[in-house]
Amino acid sequence: MKELEQVFNGIVKEYSERLYWHVRRMVASHEDADDLLQEIFLKIWTALPSFRGEAQLYTWVWRIATNETLNHLRKERVRAALRMQSIDAEMERRVEGDPYFNGTEAQRELMKGLTKLPEKQRQVFVMRWWDELSYEEISAITGTSVGALKASYHIAQEKLKLNLSTLEVSK
Amino acid sequence: MTKKNDIFVPEGYFQNLEQKLSRIPQKEVRPTTLQKVSPWIAYAASLVILASVGGFIFRKAAEPVLQEEYSWDYLSYLSRSLDPDGMIELEESTELTDEDIVNFLLADNVSVELIAEANYEENY
Repeated sequence: MKELEQVFNGIVKEYSERLYWHVRRMVASHEDADDLLQEIFLKIWTALPSFRGEAQLYTWVWRIATNETLNHLRKERVRAALRMQSIDAEMERRVEGDPYFNGTEAQRELMKGLTKLPEKQRQVFVMRWWDELSYEEISAITGTSVGALKASYHIAQEKLKLNLSTLEVSK
Repeated sequence: MTKKNDIFVPEGYFQNLEQKLSRIPQKEVRPTTLQKVSPWIAYAASLVILASVGGFIFRKAAEPVLQEEYSWDYLSYLSRSLDPDGMIELEESTELTDEDIVNFLLADNVSVELIAEANYEENY
């Protein structure tokens, strides 16, 4: 038990900050990222005894984090739909009202554009652009082929470019 | 455009976060073997109860004296036939919330759009 706790604390030390930034980009709110991160680490702790080492610890931890984040976003989308509200508008409101944002207007528009992407495209874009993971690493985490990831990233990039060029035009 | 430094966290956040996350093992006691198998025990028990209730309904329905009472719905029939306290428990335990249904559908890989559409049609 003590040994597991040591491994867990090592994971916390090694990954908590990096995973925070990933989750924060995905959910666009510090409070939500904080809550979700606790759920992710709870899941890691619960699943730790079943970690057999077939995958690298790094891949395993990231896989749990990305799956939990996607589940969270899907639930949010459904909840919003059940309330007849638009999740896109809610996400945009979060970016607009984020008290922990001090970027430029273009960066804010990029964040807004990001929240409008389908969850999986958003995930690939965040992992590649901000988390700076290689396609091979993302592939190992998500189980998606490198080719499909490149296509996803390209589409996301095009959509975001479109979003930013709209900003330039409107300025 | 630079990628970083557009978002930040409250001061000392990561230090607190690390401490908070490190307390998870103390807070979350792992389930014992009994706790792990208890869902299966509950599942088996519910099957037994269902079989008993089903058998009871079948036997009662087969009795000629009940022919005139076929217009009853099963729930009101059961509520009169069974112990009322037991019935209250059964009603409570079988109550499904929207959240339960949504979680079930998501776990069953039903698309978010389809769930939302179904909900829209149900309400309008």
